[in-house]
Amino acid sequence: MRISQALSKRRLPGRSAEIMILFRVGEFTFAIGANAVEEIRDLTGLQDFSFGRSHQKLEKVKHAFERQGRDYFVVDAAAHFHLDKAHTTRVMVLRDLAAAVSVDGIEGMQEIHSIQGLPTAFSGEERDWYRGLALIKGKVVPVVRPEAFLNRAQTTLLSAWLRTTRAATGVADTA
Amino acid sequence: MSGFFTERQMFVIFPMGKKRFALPADQVSELGRQKRGEEDEQQKFPHTTPLLTGVVVHRNEIVPVADIAPLLAANDVIERKFYLVLDRPAKGKTSRTAIPVTGECELVKAERLPTEPKLPAYISGRLSLKDEIVEVLDFERLMSAEVPA
Repeated sequence: MRISQALSKRRLPGRSAEIMILFRVGEFTFAIGANAVEEIRDLTGLQDFSFGRSHQKLEKVKHAFERQGRDYFVVDAAAHFHLDKAHTTRVMVLRDLAAAVSVDGIEGMQEIHSIQGLPTAFSGEERDWYRGLALIKGKVVPVVRPEAFLNRAQTTLLSAWLRTTRAATGVADTA
Repeated sequence: MSGFFTERQMFVIFPMGKKRFALPADQVSELGRQKRGEEDEQQKFPHTTPLLTGVVVHRNEIVPVADIAPLLAANDVIERKFYLVLDRPAKGKTSRTAIPVTGECELVKAERLPTEPKLPAYISGRLSLKDEIVEVLDFERLMSAEVPA
């Protein structure tokens, strides 16, 4: 199953409103700007992936897949947020990055009119993870920063490593 | 005037485990009650900041919750159904943090006595009350302290 993000590029009438995709990892619900998501797909075509070097920040990349001749690296959202192993059912392909995020499920889409900055008391990795917090029907939902999952430098590094590995093992390079 | 003599100040005193601690009253904006299934119920999301356990929505504001019990009383703490909401300076403005407490808080006027070298750095002074010595917390230092495993 694949859901194309036709809505994502469309602007809402209200200037301050932003459409969010709500997704679930473990017991938690998160939001990501719909504009940051290219496609939501199932787990078909995912291949196990492990970065060949000791690189703690990239251990969260557990799978890769090929889409339209390009390699995508899949971040396990549970590993990213240091949660216990999740029950992954969906992959969100991020826009403008060779990156995707595996999540437990998609809860829907929601128009959000304001995002409150993360309170300054939060001083850990979450300052990088979250754009801020949204209040949706009384529930506090963290709004994630897509580039915190994998940034461009990291995807470039992973792509280069994958190409090198394929060349060494004689596998055809499709990227 | 010698530094040994200080003005009497207002403090909020609250129990934590077997002891009571104090915070300067000008840092405490209110005592709120935790309500299940409503505003002020604690909500959680992943983060890595020590001592913070979640947030509450308090008067339409998302307020972090800091559980200081692990530092002050280990596991010797009963259920706490109230929050002390503190005003904290942050980058030129005020941010708020809630700490879970039991409802048995007291407002007292007392003279702050100096701390002792053997006490942790997050103790900024002591209050000599009728039959007990109450330690005054430096909340900013407390939040930056290492949490024992």
